[in-house]
Amino acid sequence: MTFLGYKLEPRTKPPGQVVFLYSFAAVLVALIITGFIFMAYGLNPFSAYATIIQKTLLNWRGFSQVLLKSVPILLAGVGLVLAFRAQFWNIGAEGQILAGAAAAAGVALFLPLPAPLTLPAMFLAGFIAGGLWGFLPAILKVRLGVNEIITTLMMNYIMLYIVRWLINGPWKGKLVRGFSESDKFPAQAVLPTFVGTRLNWPTLGIAILFVFFIFFLLSRMKLGFEIRMMGESPEAAHYAGVSFLTTTVLLVLLSAGAAGLAGVGEIAGIHKKLLEPTSISQGFGYTAIIVALLARGNPLATLATALLLGWVFASGDVMKVALRLPDQMTGVINGLLLLCIICIEPLLRYRLVRTKALPNSKFKETV
Amino acid sequence: MKKLIVLAALVLALAWAQDKPIVGFIYVGPVGDAGWTYAHDLGRQKLEKELGVKTIYIESVPEADAEAFIDQLVDEGASIIFTTSFGYGDGTLAAAERHPDVLFGHATGYMRAPNVMTYIAEMYQSYYINGLIAGALTESNKLGYVAAFPIPEVKRHIDAFAMGAKEVNPDATVEVRWLFNWFDPAGAKEATEALIAEGADVFAFTEDTPTVIQTAGEKGYPSFSHYASMYDFSPDTVASGQLTDWGTIYIDFVKGAMEGKYTNTNLQDLDYIWRYAEGASIAGAKPGMPINPVYEDALKAKMVNDSVLGEISVYDLVMKRIEQMTAGEFEPFTGPIVDRKGNEVYADGVVAPLGDLMGLEWAADNVVGDWDNEP
Amino acid sequence: MELELILNTIARALAFSTPLLWAALGEIYTERSGVVNLGVEGMMIMGAVVGFMVGQATGLPYLALLVAALVGTLMGLAHAFISITLNANQFVSGLSLTIFGLGLSGLLGRSYVGQPLNVAMKSVTVPFLSEIPLLGPALFTDQKLLTYAGLIMAIILWFFLNYTRWGMTLRSVGESPKAADTAGIPVNQVRYLAVAFGGLMAGVAGAYLSLAYRPSWGEGMTNGMGWIALALTIFALWDPLRAIGASFLFGAFFYLSFTKLQTVIAPELLTMMPYIMTIVALTVIALGQGKRAFGAPEALGIPYQRGER
Repeated sequence: MTFLGYKLEPRTKPPGQVVFLYSFAAVLVALIITGFIFMAYGLNPFSAYATIIQKTLLNWRGFSQVLLKSVPILLAGVGLVLAFRAQFWNIGAEGQILAGAAAAAGVALFLPLPAPLTLPAMFLAGFIAGGLWGFLPAILKVRLGVNEIITTLMMNYIMLYIVRWLINGPWKGKLVRGFSESDKFPAQAVLPTFVGTRLNWPTLGIAILFVFFIFFLLSRMKLGFEIRMMGESPEAAHYAGVSFLTTTVLLVLLSAGAAGLAGVGEIAGIHKKLLEPTSISQGFGYTAIIVALLARGNPLATLATALLLGWVFASGDVMKVALRLPDQMTGVINGLLLLCIICIEPLLRYRLVRTKALPNSKFKETV
Repeated sequence: MKKLIVLAALVLALAWAQDKPIVGFIYVGPVGDAGWTYAHDLGRQKLEKELGVKTIYIESVPEADAEAFIDQLVDEGASIIFTTSFGYGDGTLAAAERHPDVLFGHATGYMRAPNVMTYIAEMYQSYYINGLIAGALTESNKLGYVAAFPIPEVKRHIDAFAMGAKEVNPDATVEVRWLFNWFDPAGAKEATEALIAEGADVFAFTEDTPTVIQTAGEKGYPSFSHYASMYDFSPDTVASGQLTDWGTIYIDFVKGAMEGKYTNTNLQDLDYIWRYAEGASIAGAKPGMPINPVYEDALKAKMVNDSVLGEISVYDLVMKRIEQMTAGEFEPFTGPIVDRKGNEVYADGVVAPLGDLMGLEWAADNVVGDWDNEP
Repeated sequence: MELELILNTIARALAFSTPLLWAALGEIYTERSGVVNLGVEGMMIMGAVVGFMVGQATGLPYLALLVAALVGTLMGLAHAFISITLNANQFVSGLSLTIFGLGLSGLLGRSYVGQPLNVAMKSVTVPFLSEIPLLGPALFTDQKLLTYAGLIMAIILWFFLNYTRWGMTLRSVGESPKAADTAGIPVNQVRYLAVAFGGLMAGVAGAYLSLAYRPSWGEGMTNGMGWIALALTIFALWDPLRAIGASFLFGAFFYLSFTKLQTVIAPELLTMMPYIMTIVALTVIALGQGKRAFGAPEALGIPYQRGER
């Protein structure tokens, strides 16, 4: 089809700046729709947005909340990018986060280590525990062909109940008057935070480093190449002698391990004790799926998508308090925003090209 | 320096006395949960109506985020803030340190500070009354209890219920099923069905929905309202219940703050544990209906022998106990009490101190079922 | 006593798994056409809230069911439009619809909290059949009509999928859209229908919860059932008949975790049982049949664009 001398031409890989520009436009459209919702609730949309921006971006305490929400979904999200690139549909980040948190809590509470070693040991334990929680689904998939979506989802529920068992049974605190949680961690097991905020910088640093590591792994390392090949054309990978078992296990250990690290950050940075699992992770493992999908397989892009979603959550909090919007409105607006972002996809898949044909050409293109 | 603080407090107190404070509430669920948060919101509405203060509430606040939301409430001008879930403890204390001028109340907690008090509308006395009724109404001598988590609060309620039942019916046992969830309607439904199948015929519970009442009601079995009135969900079978009125505490505290009785320096030892006597938790299917008229005749027909009151019908016993507890003259947890492992918990005539009850771990001797951390 | 436990388990597993079965059947058809719908949870909860609202306003639970099905269908169409016409990421689309539905349902239902449904769906006891010893009380006593309808639906859908021309069309679209297209099948239209149908079934599943299972509205009352239904779709190997078995098994273990077994096994471990058993069952199937057992539709999750490749 042509129109005024232009036609739509399919393209396979849109350049990064186009994706960014279009995504930005989509967010803008969502914000305009949300503005109308604000109006329906009797709010001036401009002052409503001014409030939100002021309280989330222009003030350090507010912005630290944005980062606080972004860190766990960034770590778990970039791990999922890796898994999704290999067509391993890991829905189990939520359980892997909890596994990491539980293991770190075990180290903090029961392993007598010299103070400077405690935190590194917690991160290591969390990484390994998260990874191991992804191990069974990986083995079952490669060896027996059991669908990983279902096993990883089930593993989430199982870990949830394991943590509940720990805090009600063997790890229940001695000083908590019978409530279901562990004792507080000793000071050496607590991550330092930026002054005046609850944001701990070690996990933020680890998350950013991990993003670049995954980027490097996928673009420069043999394992990354094998992962990509396995995902993009399993047959070719097979002929090239890629060991599906080893590669899958390694990639899942990394992917699930990243989620485990996120769990350590939450538990050692914010909660400082093992507690009710739905409080440890507020669905971060599921939000991470969106982070990874919006990043379209690009590990570096998770930096943007995690920050965007972190901002959306922090804004939702502001809407609840400063704008007095009902809590459920946050869900409605988040849903709309995501729908807008993905609806630009057809635009990305085509570009406008000037055709030689005249506007009234009888020549018909099939698009 | 200290004088200055006192002076500042005084000025603040005066300021409060003149213009009314803004009171903030942090809720753990949506007000639409028909359970815990709903009951707190009824209390908030009562506070607003009675004292004419402005309130702001925030629903569904994750427990770890309390601190951030408190900051925002303070930004909005709140000078009194109630955090209505146990899990908000750490966040409340941390925020209280950052906002020393603001008064805080933390529900069901135990950690206090000069500007943080704790409070609870304690229901065990109502559960005891419910137990008296349940023990009289059961035909199978099996009472069902669908419970959320094995923590002292829930254990105390189960024990009070079981002790009430035993008082009027020595053969009555309480079968406990654990959900390991505060909110799990499907679990509550299936647990009730399982208890029915195993012969239980009267039901009490700790869960955030009226599911147990609806499920038991379908089969015609009596049950008890929890937190707020659930009478409408099965008018013919809700025998009584535990009705909390958080409003009593909210009004008392805010009034005290407005009059300068409570300031940001004297809350360290303020712990509201309000029960029957203060009207914070009373027994009833709905307000004004301590016993559902449907069961009046059955309860009047059932006679028991009380060592003090002599031959008395369960109906009269219930009314007597309500009267006594309202006057603060009766305490269900009075010895001799022996737990189900045979240990003596309280000797004859000893009244359990409140502090003990807040950390209760033992199981009454007619409780059947798994019991974590049993001493 | 043990026999009684088994019979009760059968009866309760049927009742509890009814919404899982309806939603899973819908998702099976959706996925058989080659589209994944992660919005099941959102569609279920919209069905639940709208069903309750209409039921409360009219006192006609079956009319309410119809409207709930319609709302589910509309949400299904939205998913179809985004993932088929716009060819956008269907996983994100489904997830967004779930988030959106959970929010909107809470908003719509705000004023209905704390109200029992005036006229709920009645339980039925099938005459004659309920008098069969043992199985009568287990299968045919005090169940909801939708429970039986779900079982019948599964059989019809299974027959339709495997033995009719339409069913073959649906399968071919999910297995090899290109070949189907060449054969003159309007691939995207078929997918539209299948996705809308999946939404309809999810709407019914949600309405069962608020009109029959627990006749009231509570925010978030689906409580993750939509996700379980998605898992059961895979567990059932995309086969409507096996969906009966899969959802029944899940329901049975769910019920058992609240029975007197709690006095034998620690309840916090027992509550994990349905999830563990799902993995175990899948592993056993795989050990028995090898990798071939898990034939997902070949083109599942892959959009079809004419002229590509």
